Amino acid sequence: MTAVRSYYEDFVRTFSNVLFAVCLLLIWGLMTLAGVIVQQGKDPSDYFGMYAAPVARMILRLNVDNIYHTPYYVGMIGLILVSLTVCTFKRVIPARLPALRPVKIDKIPLNVSVDMAGDEASVRARVEQFFRKRGWQVRSREFDGAEWTFADKHNWARRGVLIAHIGFAIIAAGTTIYWAKGFSGDSALLVGQTIDVPHRSATLRLNSFHYKIEPIMTKSGMVYQPIDYVSNVTVVGKDGIPKTETLRVNHPIDIDGALFYQSSYGFAMKFSVTHDGTRSAALSDKTYFTGDTFTLPGSQRQIQVMQFVPTVDRQTGQPSADPRVNDPAVALAVTEGGQTAGAALVPMKTWIDVGNGWRVTPEQYLMVSGLQYRYDPGVPLVGIGAFVLLAGLVISFYFLPARLFVRVTPLRSRHPELVEGCTVGIAAMTVKGYDIFETQFSELIADLRKHLAPASPATALTPAEATT
Amino acid sequence: MQQHMPLDAVLMIIAIGAYVISALALLGYFFSREEWLKHLGIPLAIAGAVAQVAQLVARWEITHIWPLLNLYGSLSLFSVVSVVIFMYFAFRYKLWFAGGFVVGLAAVFLAYATTWYEGAMPAVPSLQSYWAKIHVPLVVASYGAFMVAFVVSAMYLLKYYYERRLATAPAPANLAMAGGGSSATLQTGEMRVRLDTPNIAAAAQAGNTTAYWFNTMPSLAQLDILIYRIVAVGLPLLTLGIITGAMWAHEAWGAYWQWDPKETAALFSWIVYAIYMHLHTRSAWRGVRSAWISAVGFLTIMFCYFGVNLWISGLHSYKM
Ligand code: HEM
Repeated sequence: MTAVRSYYEDFVRTFSNVLFAVCLLLIWGLMTLAGVIVQQGKDPSDYFGMYAAPVARMILRLNVDNIYHTPYYVGMIGLILVSLTVCTFKRVIPARLPALRPVKIDKIPLNVSVDMAGDEASVRARVEQFFRKRGWQVRSREFDGAEWTFADKHNWARRGVLIAHIGFAIIAAGTTIYWAKGFSGDSALLVGQTIDVPHRSATLRLNSFHYKIEPIMTKSGMVYQPIDYVSNVTVVGKDGIPKTETLRVNHPIDIDGALFYQSSYGFAMKFSVTHDGTRSAALSDKTYFTGDTFTLPGSQRQIQVMQFVPTVDRQTGQPSADPRVNDPAVALAVTEGGQTAGAALVPMKTWIDVGNGWRVTPEQYLMVSGLQYRYDPGVPLVGIGAFVLLAGLVISFYFLPARLFVRVTPLRSRHPELVEGCTVGIAAMTVKGYDIFETQFSELIADLRKHLAPASPATALTPAEATT
Repeated sequence: MQQHMPLDAVLMIIAIGAYVISALALLGYFFSREEWLKHLGIPLAIAGAVAQVAQLVARWEITHIWPLLNLYGSLSLFSVVSVVIFMYFAFRYKLWFAGGFVVGLAAVFLAYATTWYEGAMPAVPSLQSYWAKIHVPLVVASYGAFMVAFVVSAMYLLKYYYERRLATAPAPANLAMAGGGSSATLQTGEMRVRLDTPNIAAAAQAGNTTAYWFNTMPSLAQLDILIYRIVAVGLPLLTLGIITGAMWAHEAWGAYWQWDPKETAALFSWIVYAIYMHLHTRSAWRGVRSAWISAVGFLTIMFCYFGVNLWISGLHSYKM
């Protein structure tokens, strides 16, 4: 039992230590940086191309190629949350919301003592009135027969850290909801094609797709700037009513809670494939996307659709940089038993002989609209968390909670010759140390002197002056 | 036929010119403490900032394209925001001694911005969003604040290490006050004013010019608070910038967070400043250590700003 207790205490001590939290944040930061430097989600062979073999092997073995989804990255955020929770309860709340208690005024770096005329009660009343008028929340307490006055500024703002920490935890909760309940994916739709919306009893049909690209002459040459991508779709949701909608970048559509986004575009191909002049219906009726291959019947020969080229440069016969469709062609590669036998750029409506009496003619190109979909029920929570976090930051940074400890003691105990007078000892503490409050404190005290103790030093005090 | 220079180009030249002269004047002020140099530098810096804002507005008017969507525009905003934030802190906390460095850097960034000028380019579809008018200024403004924090951190570190050097120098050069510690307390009336660089103060009194420069700067404790206050402007701006970026991404790309290099680099900087903020709550870490973190924080910002834009491609290279 005591062993368990001691483990528990060790755990609480470690996880509530700010330096431990900082170490966790640092490791989280470095892992995040690793993911910025090492490109994510590439093919393993790409890393061997980019780095020396031992480095590439290490990247792959440690999953640095997909670091943000590794158990240790997610685990690190989990540890941060545990540390944040433990620390908030063990350290932040007790330290930030301290009870009112007496202090040794002269031991606190920001302290001052001001002598004032009047008896103890009237001096205390004037001092309290002074602070109250300047927006301080004044409270008095008695400790061992001694009366203490406490004045607080922005006391409510002591909860700023708590709010920031809660905001961070809410964001984490929101992202977890997506992992538990959300889904996402992408689909490439041909014009005229209809798909079922995943996890929803709804369909989406792509009626048409248009894009606009403008050639712009810049200082460093011609740039083809994309201006717009537009998909016109018909959606049949769970209500069964068909609705026509327009999908653009930055303007997603909502299908029963799942959002659809315009994300990319491309081209698909139809070929006329003939053997000794006879059309092969099986091969010619199919639609081919970039990367698709087909095998010529009765042979080992394969044709791969490498790329659709919207415009071929007429002078060079090579693909031009212009992404608009002017003189389209298709790059085809022919392989025999896995070995490349040749490649060619074939203009539309012209044929290429691929051997053994086979001819391939690019007949038609079709527009493909790339859509992304996502259902994320955690979004509202993440949004709320983000703004709670921000509110916590603003409160912590811009509202400095300060507490003044005020003790009024009759001067007569030190100077019996005086008729009446008191020493007001004032000390100040803030949640961010003393330096940050030094100027304000000295201004406050100067103000206090001006209004309540214009005649210092103390020995000059008389009952007559005390009436000021 | 004579061709006129476009208004925005003229304004750009005025801004760079004003910043350069202002930076020189404020640097002169730092070294000589001649008040007239400060009075020359301040209006020029303001004039440069006004010219820059006018330049951005003029470019928007002429091209009808939101001017902050490329490095040319955003760097231009970065330099004007740095100057504006600096001005705010300088007027409030008498930070003029750092002016030459801040305005000088602003001039360098602005001059560098001009090398990215490509002419009027309409925005690609993903950038055609009202979020561009919210997210970009917020992020760039946070960079500006961090730049000012960086300059003050650098001055903190210089002063700190100079004090250390004097403290460890052999006897004649070491003009340390009696007691010789790194911190002493002066009594002025009943208030305590911390003198945390006694060796610099003593050397300044003995006529050491470098010590004199440092001695006229605020105390290390005050510089530390200034850095904190400036980071306290930058961090909420960066947080809001990341939040608005996430909102935009949610609208444009289908997910508020895609682990795109730019996003993650910004997250990295955000973590570094979160570390700064946490360490600054500990008295043992306030000061030289937190000044180092603030300085490193700005380097991570520069990596996020330039490193990712120029070396690492991703969604933020805006192909769509
Ligand atoms: C590893 C997890 C974390 C732990 C253990 C932790 C702990 C602490 C502690 C002990 C303080 C100082 C309280 C005081 O001195 O009164 C603090 C301050 C603060 N924390 Fe955290 N924290 C963590 C993560 C975060 C995160 C991720 C954020 C989000 C930004 C955050 C925001 C803040 C803020 C705004 C302050 C106030 C700083 C100031 O007033 O200057 N914390 N934290």
